[in-house]
Amino acid sequence: MPFGYHGRYLRIDVSRPSTSLAAALSKVEGRGSVERVPLEETVLRQFIGGSGLGVRLLLDEGTASLDPLDPRAPLIFAFSPLVGSPLTTSAKFAVVSKSPLTDRINDSLASSGFAIAGKSCGCDAFVIVGRAPELSVLIIEDGDVRVEPAAECAGMTCEETGAHYRSRLGVDFRIATIGPAGENGVRYATISHDGRHAGRGGSGAVMGAKNIKAIAVRGTQRPEWADRREVIAISKDLSHRSFGPATAKYRELGTATNLLTFNRFGALPTRNFQSGEFDQAGNLSVEQLTATRSKTRGSCATCTIGCEHIYSVGDGSVRLEYESLFALGSLCGVGDADVVLRAVQRCDELGLDTISTGGTIAFAMECVERGWLEAPWLTFGSGDALLRAIDLIGWREGLGDLLAEGSRRSAVAIGHNSIAIAPQVKGLEIPGYEPRALQTMALGFAVGARGADHNRSGAYEVDFSDKVDRRNVTLEAVRHAIDTEDRAALMDSLILCKFLRGVLEDFHGETAAMLRSVTGWDVTAAELRDTAARIVAAKQEFNRLAGWTPAEDTLPERFLDTPLPNDRSASLSRARLDALVAEYHRQRGW
Amino acid sequence: MHVEFLGVSRERAGVAELHVEADTLGRLVAALAAQTPGLAELIVVDRLHPSLAANLNGDRFISDPATPLGDDDRVLILSADVGG
Ligand code: SF4
Repeated sequence: MPFGYHGRYLRIDVSRPSTSLAAALSKVEGRGSVERVPLEETVLRQFIGGSGLGVRLLLDEGTASLDPLDPRAPLIFAFSPLVGSPLTTSAKFAVVSKSPLTDRINDSLASSGFAIAGKSCGCDAFVIVGRAPELSVLIIEDGDVRVEPAAECAGMTCEETGAHYRSRLGVDFRIATIGPAGENGVRYATISHDGRHAGRGGSGAVMGAKNIKAIAVRGTQRPEWADRREVIAISKDLSHRSFGPATAKYRELGTATNLLTFNRFGALPTRNFQSGEFDQAGNLSVEQLTATRSKTRGSCATCTIGCEHIYSVGDGSVRLEYESLFALGSLCGVGDADVVLRAVQRCDELGLDTISTGGTIAFAMECVERGWLEAPWLTFGSGDALLRAIDLIGWREGLGDLLAEGSRRSAVAIGHNSIAIAPQVKGLEIPGYEPRALQTMALGFAVGARGADHNRSGAYEVDFSDKVDRRNVTLEAVRHAIDTEDRAALMDSLILCKFLRGVLEDFHGETAAMLRSVTGWDVTAAELRDTAARIVAAKQEFNRLAGWTPAEDTLPERFLDTPLPNDRSASLSRARLDALVAEYHRQRGW
Repeated sequence: MHVEFLGVSRERAGVAELHVEADTLGRLVAALAAQTPGLAELIVVDRLHPSLAANLNGDRFISDPATPLGDDDRVLILSADVGG
């Protein structure tokens, strides 16, 4: 077995409560309550860990055609060989499943102590199947796995649940939880840990469908590294560089600073993508936010960058990112910073993905405006309406029961061809990048395996460079889009934070050196390029088995053949998008 | 021409806009290093650090120091890494 790994994963069937791993070890050959399944070194080398390993294990389960909320559909937590090392930003885990929002692959990443403690349980992944007979907590502690009732946590927020189990089990347990949204099957519910979220695609609903409110992990098993001195030398160098200019934006201002930049370029999605300019953007700027309230900084475990900017709101505080700010601010036409901060905080408490929440509410607001939906209170710009809608969604009450399905399913129910204005690709709501003004990103959204996503495609970076004309891209953009997608797949499998990418001057060479030092493999930059493409292809293979067709690699009608109202030169024809997608498929060999 | 700062460059420059006399991007960048000490760490002679990008009039991105600039141009200096 290579260094850096345990060489096995736990396959846990939560349908059978109160089991112990020790008792189940004799059942390795069968499908007992807990199996300890060996992982071959070739599989680890081909898929590394995180998203890559998770997707490979999901394919092995052979469940692509199942309903994602079916008890047999797996929910996978995958760690990586770098977890537990001092390499900056490496304390991350991937949650992989079929998405209840898109019915396609979903791989969400989250940070912090859960990754280190989970891997210390002596395995490289948990594969969770089944459905507990009652709301339960899954406790994984070194050599023991048990499922216990958690009725007392019903309806608790993510933070309350984490606090409850830290107090009950011990502060050294790390807890991943769902909030009421996950319990209620909201299709874009999150799994939360220490205020960070495996946010997109509804992994919280998959966990809720298994009746698992929380997963508590604690362990003592740490795999050795192949070359300890080299691991430490690389870590020191990387940490030193991570204090430099390449990460200044994240340290000094946080991603929220993007809002004014996007607004300046007319690319800030506003009022459900009806405009790229928001007249109240200044109210939501970092400058305004910091002028009127206190702010602290924080970071994930093992991170030397510290991009978390935490703002006070009411009696509490909330970590603010650009994506939450745009989705619950400009996209809903809300320019009151206090309301937006409270909305983000409420999503965190309920366990809701802020992008899909904002996208779905903004869509509903436009439907109300057009007279397609009977909910006169739900208007653009109304902070009260925004906060009310979030609570209704989290509890699936009234109109919230429909909106909990996401914008695509809501559009089907509303009719009037409202699907044309539903801001989604494959069912996943579009993040804060106006596709007509950023057309390499438009391609990245259209072809994304998990739907419209800025974490699986960094193509916006190409648009903000001299490599393309962002409002009139050519087929040349395709190779750039593929390159950013492959890099993201590699970072999500190693796993390293994407905010580190600017620090890596020789991306493939440096990441190969990290992997070599930990695992002892003679891995090269060229091998990692192939690995990245293999991981992207594995996601595509899952989607193909789940029913993918080329026709779904597109954008909603709103974005095609109609210029952006605030910038008439930002126009994307259907013919051009089709040509870009066809060229992408050709270069991928799909 | 007018220089407009966004994000980190605004934080470091301490102002949102400046008027600078320069006829190429390279000369503009060198002038910024001299006039705004907070930005100096992000400038290497006549080029921006890769973490920053320059845009001409909100349209095209420019990086060649020889790129000519006119009096009426607006150059935007922003974080190259604009994502979240
Ligand atoms: S840069 Fe931010 S998101 Fe990335 S690991 Fe550090 S604190 Fe976490």
